[in-house]
Amino acid sequence: MNKLVKGLAAAGVAAAMSQGAVAACGDVTIAEMNWASAEFMANVDKIILEEGYGCTVELVPGATLTTFASMDTKGVPDIAPELWTQSVDVPLKAAIASGSLHKMNPKPILGAGEGWVVPSYTLENHPEIKTVLDVIERPDLFPYNEDPTKGAFVGCPAGWGCQQINNNLFTAFDMEAKGWVLVDPGSAAGLDGAMAKAVQRGDDYFGYYWSPTAMMGKYNMQMLDFGVPFQGMDDWLACTTQAECADPQPTSWSVSEINTIATDSFMKNNDPKAAAYIKGREYPAAAMGAMLVYMADNQAGGEDAAIEFLVNHEDVWTQWVGVQAANLIKKSLN
Amino acid sequence: MELFDDFPSMGRKDLVDLKKGIDFAFRDFSRDNGEAIEGFFDPLMYFMVWFEKLLMAAPWPIMILIFAILAWLGARSIGIVIGTIVSFLAIGYFGMWEDTMATVAIISVATFLCIGLGIPLGILMSRSNRVQATVTPVLDIMQTIPSFVYLIPVVMLLGIGKVPGLIAVCIYALPPIVRLTNLGIRLVDKEVLEAAEAFGSNYRQKLFDVQIPLALPNIFAGVNQTIMMALAMVVIASMIGVKGLGVPVLRAVSNQYLALGLMNGLAIVALAVIFDRVSQEYGKRLQKHRQGGHGV
Repeated sequence: MNKLVKGLAAAGVAAAMSQGAVAACGDVTIAEMNWASAEFMANVDKIILEEGYGCTVELVPGATLTTFASMDTKGVPDIAPELWTQSVDVPLKAAIASGSLHKMNPKPILGAGEGWVVPSYTLENHPEIKTVLDVIERPDLFPYNEDPTKGAFVGCPAGWGCQQINNNLFTAFDMEAKGWVLVDPGSAAGLDGAMAKAVQRGDDYFGYYWSPTAMMGKYNMQMLDFGVPFQGMDDWLACTTQAECADPQPTSWSVSEINTIATDSFMKNNDPKAAAYIKGREYPAAAMGAMLVYMADNQAGGEDAAIEFLVNHEDVWTQWVGVQAANLIKKSLN
Repeated sequence: MELFDDFPSMGRKDLVDLKKGIDFAFRDFSRDNGEAIEGFFDPLMYFMVWFEKLLMAAPWPIMILIFAILAWLGARSIGIVIGTIVSFLAIGYFGMWEDTMATVAIISVATFLCIGLGIPLGILMSRSNRVQATVTPVLDIMQTIPSFVYLIPVVMLLGIGKVPGLIAVCIYALPPIVRLTNLGIRLVDKEVLEAAEAFGSNYRQKLFDVQIPLALPNIFAGVNQTIMMALAMVVIASMIGVKGLGVPVLRAVSNQYLALGLMNGLAIVALAVIFDRVSQEYGKRLQKHRQGGHGV
């Protein structure tokens, strides 16, 4: 009798818990940061969590530093899907150590990073060029329009951290002596305009860019291997990123750290299946690039792009969610 | 009524298609004609590169001497010459010499180009009300349209660098000289023109011997405004890759370096004041004959 009661009670509790597990995904706030890929990811997360796991999701606007500060001090929002963590490295480590924040997903976007790029057709026309070192030997292929005897390398505009890094790497790789000019594009618009103009004309172009971006996807740019190993974070932070670096050393770019960060309260109070989805979702570079190009071409916001992604890229997102959730989501899209 | 809640705008898809259509049309235009247009501007670009290199490479005492001589020739005033020398010495001392030389190079080319294009255009406008009615809206557009709106197509056609920078400066700085030349000539007293006709002047004599000399105050106001607007565009030009004082100003704005921004900004102001005072004094000397006994 006791065993029976216990068994029934256990079954009852299990039933209640599984019922409760679906309903336990309550309110979730997600940061919708102010750039295209972040907007897109936040909206995809919103639809999947709402339709697939029954959460009530609210999107909160944000940016890297402001969102992190808010999560660290106030525990709001619950999730930051695309946090570029290099700039908040120290306080983030402290928060993770104290348990108030969790690093859910260390690689939500594959193929993300910064570096030096050339158009795909340059690599096709010159198969001997495989790394940055090869490019540096050939300034004649990338003539600077104001001084055709030199090669043009287009750097970063003022105010971007990469401007200083590019200056130091330009010195480290001894590019001025090898016949290069570091061209300052002046602004983000100048950088995009210079790259767009060169690629539309079919000219060879060499400069800085980062991924994931619509520009990389639209113009089919390829990020080059630097041909030298990474010098280590200590030297990178102490010298290469600093203006006062006396003797910059050749190095590849540091790996960009993008993480999905969640607060402790989200982990404790919400459906573990929802958390598992957040932990596991990984956007392949091609899919993310395609969506960014879609957003740029159609001037689409995050919500429209998210719906387009869920409708047309089932093979990608159905791998992140269980079968039941996938069916619920597909039904809601119709 | 529902109709009045939201403006009945064009359908979203149609709007996107329209915008994409314009973008593609421009891209095709750029692909077909870009090389030819770049080729057209190449001589101007090589001249500007050479001129900038010349100013930057010349030894600084010689440059200051040249500026002092030009100031004297223009203004004939010891005060202005001394002010010029002191300003340039200060600019050099605070480490802004090369940037200032680059800015002087592009702004002088831009100013001469604008004045060379603007005064004839203003004269044309003054001859005919039809021309004035056609050109005035174009000048309005040139002065008010945000710079990056026309810079985007210019950068797509010509890339970043000196020529797009020059185009940006000229589009903004051309209207004042055109409008004021037109105004100055139209304001010339009708009776004076009648008298000139009565004396048997032909069109050229009327224009160069009567109208332009009497319109000089307005024309020089136009020159002054053109110089000021050209220097005001220095920072925007540096946003599309033009070297000069605009570059450190941009850096200062992006990184919140107050002192750097202030110093370079004041260097731009110093250049503007020098250019302006010298040209104004030159203009006044040209009109000395009009002044009454007490320099009225």
